[in-house]
Amino acid sequence: MNNSLPRLIDGMVATLRADIIPHVEGDYARGQAYGVIYMLMSLKLRASWSNAFLIEQLRALEQASRELEALDLPGAPLPQARAPAQLPEAEDLMAMRDAGDERLSALIDWLSSRRKSLPADTSARALAIIDRYLNRQSKFELSTSAKPMFVEMSGGAANS
Amino acid sequence: MEETQAARPQSAATFEDVERLRLRLAEYMSSASGGHVIVERLSKFPAGFSWITYGVKLSGFPAAREVILRIGPPYGLFAPYSALPEFESLSAIAGGAIPAPRVYFASDDPSFLGAPFFLCEKVEGDTPLPWGSQVQALGSARRESLAADFIDALAALHRFDWRSTPLAKWGAGVTVDNSASLQIDDWHKRFERWALRPHPMAHRTLSWLRAHAPMATRVSIVHGDYRLGNFLERDGRISAILDWELVHLGDPIEDLGWAFLPQYRGGTTMVCGLASEADFLARYEARSGLKVDPAALKFYLVFSLLKLAFTHMAAARCFEDGLFNDLRMPAMATQIAPVFRQIARILEREP
Repeated sequence: MNNSLPRLIDGMVATLRADIIPHVEGDYARGQAYGVIYMLMSLKLRASWSNAFLIEQLRALEQASRELEALDLPGAPLPQARAPAQLPEAEDLMAMRDAGDERLSALIDWLSSRRKSLPADTSARALAIIDRYLNRQSKFELSTSAKPMFVEMSGGAANS
Repeated sequence: MEETQAARPQSAATFEDVERLRLRLAEYMSSASGGHVIVERLSKFPAGFSWITYGVKLSGFPAAREVILRIGPPYGLFAPYSALPEFESLSAIAGGAIPAPRVYFASDDPSFLGAPFFLCEKVEGDTPLPWGSQVQALGSARRESLAADFIDALAALHRFDWRSTPLAKWGAGVTVDNSASLQIDDWHKRFERWALRPHPMAHRTLSWLRAHAPMATRVSIVHGDYRLGNFLERDGRISAILDWELVHLGDPIEDLGWAFLPQYRGGTTMVCGLASEADFLARYEARSGLKVDPAALKFYLVFSLLKLAFTHMAAARCFEDGLFNDLRMPAMATQIAPVFRQIARILEREP
């Protein structure tokens, strides 16, 4: 792919809006088309080209670099490219986040079950830390969310 | 369409094959009514996420020429279903002060139509929806009339003497002391079934709810989904309260918490786009004879937001499992974070 992912999504959305939806019959079908737009806009704020795709290109570049370095090319501007040894996949990062959230959930349950036995001050401080984390997480999620399109998706018409 | 079917069993269930459904329904109704019922036509209503709804044209059924058939598919949002709570509650309140469809038959036996189902009266009317500009465009006379019906029906439901009806059997173990915690337990189990990933905010909210569970002033029938979009309107009056699938016994304030959700205000500041909070509470208290404790209302508002977040998780689960390809479901799932944010804002205001 040569275009940026956000630009590709913008182009797909514009095509759907201008060239496809006006010719689609039926409120439900148009509503689903608006659903496609909404999901594309949501993807635009979260997605990037896959790490696996990019790392493969870097590995190829590294191999070429190493082969070039083995040649006798004095003064040549060699790329000297190296692929990072560890580049976490999105799935790995997601698994790490989920494992952390799982442990945090267990801690919340633990605090809840000891509400009467733990010193109130300790509980309150722990909950304040947890709340700060939850707020930071949810604020970031909201700031990277597309504007909802439920009116369009329910009625099959542009929201004027 | 092919993709939608992919995750479902290869052979269509009776309720998914309209001709087979028509014949099986006629057999069932003939047997149940003792006559010769012919199902002339089945018209599927626009797709929802839960129960499948058909308009049914009949001949040979003495009670009506047209009825509504509701089927709870095994892949619906709240599956597995039982038709009995809705059927039994509507049977109990029939003919009283709560406008609701008359029910005819129900069964959870899948040998009839392939899934639980019930048949009820087709009530005339339209459904004002909580999104778009529809609610904002209501004139004041129509709004006031609908508000009065909406509040009065809720008050009548909460006053209803269920103990003197067959619903008395629902009451085992439900008390004013435990009605809130029973519901928390019930929804906690749903959360565990539906969540695709850990949600510490759900645990945080459940913990808050357990610490603040109020004692109910009485145990009432709770509709469970009492809001704008779940009633029929005809000539400015409510002709029927619909969608009783979450009906149960519990604290009546639970229904107020749900009706007070910001999501159902139709872009207005009014409860369900119909009445100000103060007017709603004043009329409700006068008609129900109940005093609404602000702390209990706050508890049930937080609980309602959590239930809404869990319902969005159910939509995400259904879509992820390939049971639906309807894009409204992943769209609903995008609303989990905003709902959690709303809860956090309320909890932040705690003294």
